[in-house]
Amino acid sequence: MSNRKEVRAVAKDRLAEVLQTWEAVIGLEIHTELTTLATKMFCGCPVAFGGEPNTRVCPVCLGMPGALPVPNEAAIEATVLAGLATNCRIAAWSQFHRKNYFYPDMPKDYQISQYDLPFCEDGHLDVDIGAVYGPPQPDQESDYATRIGITRIHLEEDTGKMVHVGGSEGRIAGATHSLVDFNRAGTGLIELVTEPDIRTPEEARRFAQKLRLIWLCLGISDCNMEEGSMRVDANVSVRRRGEGALGVKAEVKNMNSFKSLHDALAHEIVRQAELLESNGTVVQETRHWDAGAKRTSSLRSKEEAHDYRYFPEPDMVPFEFAPEWVESVRARLPELPDARKTRLASDLGLPVHDATVLTSDLDMADFFEEAARIAGPERARQVSNIMLNELSMHLNAAGIGVAASRISPAMIAELVGLVDEGAISSKQAKDVFAEMAETGEAPGAIVELRGMKQVSDTAVIEEVVERVIAANPGQVAQYQGGKAGLLGYFVGQVMREMGGQANPAVVNEVLKGKLDG
Amino acid sequence: MIDLSRLSATQIRDGVADGVFSAREVTEAALGRIDALEPHIHAFNQVTPELAYEAAARIDEAVASDVVLPPLAGVPVAVKDNMNLIGTRTTCSSRMLENYESVYDCTAVRRLLDAGAVPVGKCNLDEFAFGSSTENSAFGPTRNPWDLDRVPGGSSGGSAAAVAAGMASISLGSDTGGSIRQPGSLTGTVAFKPTYGRVSRYGCVAFASSLDQIGPFARTVEDAAIALNAISGHDPMDATSADRPAEDFTATLTDGVAGLRVGVVTDLLDADGCAPEVRDTVRAAAETFAALGAEVGEVELPSTAHGLSAYYVIAPAEASSNLARFDGIRYGHRVPDAEDVLDLYMRSRAEGFGPETIRRIMLGTYVLSAGYYDAYYGQAQKARTLIKQDFASAFERFDVLLTPTSPTVAFGIGEKADDPLAMYLSDIYTIPVNLAGNCAVSVPARLSETERLPIGLQIVGDYFAEPTVMRAAAAFEAAAGFDTTPPVVKEIQ
Repeated sequence: MSNRKEVRAVAKDRLAEVLQTWEAVIGLEIHTELTTLATKMFCGCPVAFGGEPNTRVCPVCLGMPGALPVPNEAAIEATVLAGLATNCRIAAWSQFHRKNYFYPDMPKDYQISQYDLPFCEDGHLDVDIGAVYGPPQPDQESDYATRIGITRIHLEEDTGKMVHVGGSEGRIAGATHSLVDFNRAGTGLIELVTEPDIRTPEEARRFAQKLRLIWLCLGISDCNMEEGSMRVDANVSVRRRGEGALGVKAEVKNMNSFKSLHDALAHEIVRQAELLESNGTVVQETRHWDAGAKRTSSLRSKEEAHDYRYFPEPDMVPFEFAPEWVESVRARLPELPDARKTRLASDLGLPVHDATVLTSDLDMADFFEEAARIAGPERARQVSNIMLNELSMHLNAAGIGVAASRISPAMIAELVGLVDEGAISSKQAKDVFAEMAETGEAPGAIVELRGMKQVSDTAVIEEVVERVIAANPGQVAQYQGGKAGLLGYFVGQVMREMGGQANPAVVNEVLKGKLDG
Repeated sequence: MIDLSRLSATQIRDGVADGVFSAREVTEAALGRIDALEPHIHAFNQVTPELAYEAAARIDEAVASDVVLPPLAGVPVAVKDNMNLIGTRTTCSSRMLENYESVYDCTAVRRLLDAGAVPVGKCNLDEFAFGSSTENSAFGPTRNPWDLDRVPGGSSGGSAAAVAAGMASISLGSDTGGSIRQPGSLTGTVAFKPTYGRVSRYGCVAFASSLDQIGPFARTVEDAAIALNAISGHDPMDATSADRPAEDFTATLTDGVAGLRVGVVTDLLDADGCAPEVRDTVRAAAETFAALGAEVGEVELPSTAHGLSAYYVIAPAEASSNLARFDGIRYGHRVPDAEDVLDLYMRSRAEGFGPETIRRIMLGTYVLSAGYYDAYYGQAQKARTLIKQDFASAFERFDVLLTPTSPTVAFGIGEKADDPLAMYLSDIYTIPVNLAGNCAVSVPARLSETERLPIGLQIVGDYFAEPTVMRAAAAFEAAAGFDTTPPVVKEIQ
């Protein structure tokens, strides 16, 4: 484990070194399956991951002779929603094109896609970058924000899946035969293409993470990178700092997590820079990221590039989007993560950092808002604190998301209330949380059951205080002689007498009254 | 024995309803006629007695239980073998789909059967509808019932011949550049190409999606109207089908043509290659319309001169993409010994497709290629726009336009088989209508003097002007008095 960490640290240092003299130019192509739609893009088959092969198919998505595609309106709306959420211009007039190429996972041997008239164009996202390595920022430790341009978002249909049998790890090399599963074929797929505005692997990762959060917020996909419902490909080139012309780019594929995206780009930048430094040349090609071996390898070179023979899809009429319709879609935009962060910070007084962390996970943000609503806005900060500390640690340890946890917003609100009302101490709250997490019991019930309730009754405390004073005449004399530090000793004695359940504030107050008076 | 060649669909339906004969008897008569004539004509790729008797039994049950009969109850129909029907093979007359069994129903076919029609078989065509003679069939040519040494036209030649020979009362064809109307003209049948979007294309194996349209063949205009009633209307399975209120296309049949504005398209008449008799037929038809009270004038469609060239860019372009799915992966012909997937694609397709199909795929692939797209596809689309504008201005002045359907009468089998360009010219009058997307019918006008072969008149209407076209066609049909029964068929019987 520690060895692997070391390797990573070395790689990171090497990237930082390379980025001193080289600038990386990165553009992303992000495909997202519209998994939350009830049906596929051009037929009525249900959308779902996996399942028995070829069970979610019909004449249309199998490309049977004579079958015709009918566009799914909900998919078009989802694409427009995605465009509006990323500051794109929505086309007034748009259409589908056919992208012609032969492949066994493509039932019609053409993909219905979009060409020169995508639904959304010219958008951008502003991305906050944490402390990172390498230029362009002179102060490497400081945070900065960067704007990543979005060239276009278009809608197309997904392909089926090939299963290669007989080779290693399901890859085609060495396989004896291949099977095709068309369950995924025809699922709505949006493709977002960024401008080549990205300069570091971290920027790429943050952009992709932010985009995923927005897509989740819009509810258009489950954005599961492992299952492939969100797929990020990157075009990468490097050039010497200060140079204007772009270098030769390579396309990197098969990055199944944000970490893979980051590591693959870091590897590819270093590879290209080292190649150029040793007087080699970068070849325009597609490279495959192997997360296990931590390297990219050539998949195919551009000489085999297809002529896709795009032409307007004659099975569908073009789309005209009236401004009123676009506005009606805009009206359905939910509050996006950035706006939510600002609101939580300004309305509920959360530190910006806390608001950022809470809103970087939709379930956490929803959980927080519900808990804060129950607890009351004046207790929002305490809710946030307990969520960012105890709850986060618990979830990390359990390896689950908040939605899967047995802890509810009402339980957190109740726990915060118990502390705030002085019923239990903050220290006791940690114990209650631990038990709550384990048993799923409500905090009030745990406090009751364990007899943990904090004693704030002055009369009870006075009685114990008097006993403690009587039993320690020497210390009393020293205290009254000016050794104020001894107050803590008396507090400790009282707390011990009371089994830790006394309200420390009340104990302090009573002690001071007796000793100072 | 019921003589189907003498009965209209309406007469059959009424006869069944009134108990004059049963649907089963009609079906037996149709299948008997097919038995007798099919060896000479080869209109069918598959005859479907089981489906036919099943459908007839349902109709006879309905008669027995005294329910209201649908408009085509008991009427024998045939459909072009590029339309899917469960229980049949849909071969497109191609080796590629020789054993392909339909897994769903074509909407138009389903609607025809839901109207009570009895399906007797699937009709021969030029492979994937690529042709004008039905000679490009992997299963041999269809012969013209008027002269067995001549072609019936194409690509819906089997559907045309089946109706002309009385083997079915109504048939369905598909028309991409004239594939209903041209064989209609060559076989003396009424052949209707509806407005693009009037009839669902779902289930008809696509040739050129922006041009294809299904339509009926019949021996009378009224039968064609009844068939069109059955098959037209919006289909949620076809995004290009028009969502319009239902219309009864028989409603205008007796309206006459008094006051109808009829335009003779003079520049098409004067085109090279138009047989004098064909030209005379259109001129005579114009006089007939005038005599019936129509206001007859002349009009030109100059942009249609580019129609053929534009069509032979657009149609193959779309076809090259539409036919890509026949790759041997999921269905259709597949070589058994492929070395890899590319080998599988290339050899399966080379073996499965006939020469004309390969020619069109190559042509279409070429015109869509990088660097050629603008020069070919882009220019063709511009020509298409101009042709639409020509029709639009013509229809400001006229309700219907008259042109020849085909420049010649039926030609001999083999006569043009080795000359694709001469073959392509057969559709010079019909193609502009597909490019514009409006509707047209070919109505038998007369027999040629010397060869005694049918000559059709094309009546062209505006978008969704089927009622007007039906009205003109019915009036002309009555005036022409054409006998639709081919003498050859009488002899064989």
